[in-house]
Amino acid sequence: MGIFIQTIPKDFFGGAWYLFREYFPLFVQGVGTTLLLAFIGTVMGFFLSLIFAVMKIQKVDWRDTKAGAVFKTAGKTFSSMYITFFRGTPMIVQAMIFYYLFRTWGILWSPLVAGLFVVTINTTAYIAEVIRGGIASIDPGQMEASRSLGFNQAQSMRLVILPQAVKNSIPAIGNEFIVNIKDTAVLSVIGIIDLYNATRMASGVFYRYTEGFFVAALIYLFLTYTSSKILALVEKKLDANKKISVKSEPNEV
Amino acid sequence: MDKNLVISIKDLKKSFDGVPVLKGIRMDVYEKEVVCIIGASGSGKTTLLRCLNLLNEPNEGSILFKGAELMDKKTDINTLRMKIGMVFQQFNLFNNKNAIDNCTLAPIHLLKMDKQSANRLALERLEEVGMKDFAHAKVSSLSGGQRQRVAIARALCMNPDVMLFDEPTSALDPEMVGEVLSVMKDLARNGMTMVVVTHEMGFAKDVANRIIFMDEGVIVEEGTPSSMFSNPKEARTKEFLKRILTN
Repeated sequence: MGIFIQTIPKDFFGGAWYLFREYFPLFVQGVGTTLLLAFIGTVMGFFLSLIFAVMKIQKVDWRDTKAGAVFKTAGKTFSSMYITFFRGTPMIVQAMIFYYLFRTWGILWSPLVAGLFVVTINTTAYIAEVIRGGIASIDPGQMEASRSLGFNQAQSMRLVILPQAVKNSIPAIGNEFIVNIKDTAVLSVIGIIDLYNATRMASGVFYRYTEGFFVAALIYLFLTYTSSKILALVEKKLDANKKISVKSEPNEV
Repeated sequence: MDKNLVISIKDLKKSFDGVPVLKGIRMDVYEKEVVCIIGASGSGKTTLLRCLNLLNEPNEGSILFKGAELMDKKTDINTLRMKIGMVFQQFNLFNNKNAIDNCTLAPIHLLKMDKQSANRLALERLEEVGMKDFAHAKVSSLSGGQRQRVAIARALCMNPDVMLFDEPTSALDPEMVGEVLSVMKDLARNGMTMVVVTHEMGFAKDVANRIIFMDEGVIVEEGTPSSMFSNPKEARTKEFLKRILTN
């Protein structure tokens, strides 16, 4: 063991390079887990957020049946509370609550599955607010035109409003993915071998945390920078940079 | 009930935040009739028009559309709206769709037409408004007048019993007003029932069967274009016409 320790160079960059080379498979595993958490969390969060965003903007009107009105109000309240809770508490705390809560209920899920669950429900809350803002930015005339043709509220939302709102929200959703690459580090608290935990394990062998996490920082930076470049390309492809104009006509009366 | 009656309104009242905008309107629209509603800004004419398809919910009164009471909670308003076409001041074309997809959206999803027949229908309607060549153009590439003509075609695709026009030329540059009015004239000539809120007195004079003058939430006077323009009875009508015609 003593011989082994002497193999790591004493200087900073030498040590960092040594850790990176020696524990390369562990770093790769960590990167894989981190990207999986960020990707699944963002994609699943996006789909769930559509439900929450639409639930939150429901308005009861006099044509609703009694049951419909109760349903709308309940959904709106639930969605608001959900979004407030998950945006207002740290994800690290959410991870602790849900991981152990389900285990006390006898659901012995793995840290990774628990992590995917937590990052998803957390991201849902953030993207729901993005989508809600996207919906609010669409000219009310779009909804009126749709209703005037005979579409009901839900059809108008699905066919006219949401496609435009989502398109306008793509840059913000992409940003959420990048935030998730960094912020899923807190999920290491429940024992996921993500990039953060992988680094901790690698550095701990020689007690060279500074060098180890310097390597981690570079890897995180590489991941976020590359992702932002890829997302910019995707946005350009989808023409999402050119926002769908809020007003249909430049000259107002 | 008169079979030719398309819309019949009684005692319609509407207020926004306690401010009365419509103070008891009574109005009938008959089949193939072109009714122009004129009046100063704030007279309630746009609100009245938007009440006809419940984009604005009236506070009280009755709106009969082909015998169905729109103010009845049990009435399926969405089905009735399919038969009430509406053209907006700001066009309100769906910004994420090209001209033809704007036209086919409702036929495909509401009338359950297949894509080919919907496209065929849309092209016919676009041809009627002179926009066939722009069928695949993005909305953002069209001029105001072109957008408004596509918007008219979109409403026509649902084969409505009546068309509502809410100041359809007010947002247009002056040189584009003519093309939209000429499409509307063609529609009127082909027997479309139309209710038009407008500031275009020339159009009202030439095309309308009946003109309704509104002021401060009430109908002050109505009559044929010739009687209204040459021989208005009410002082408020005279004053309004004098003001608008001398401009």
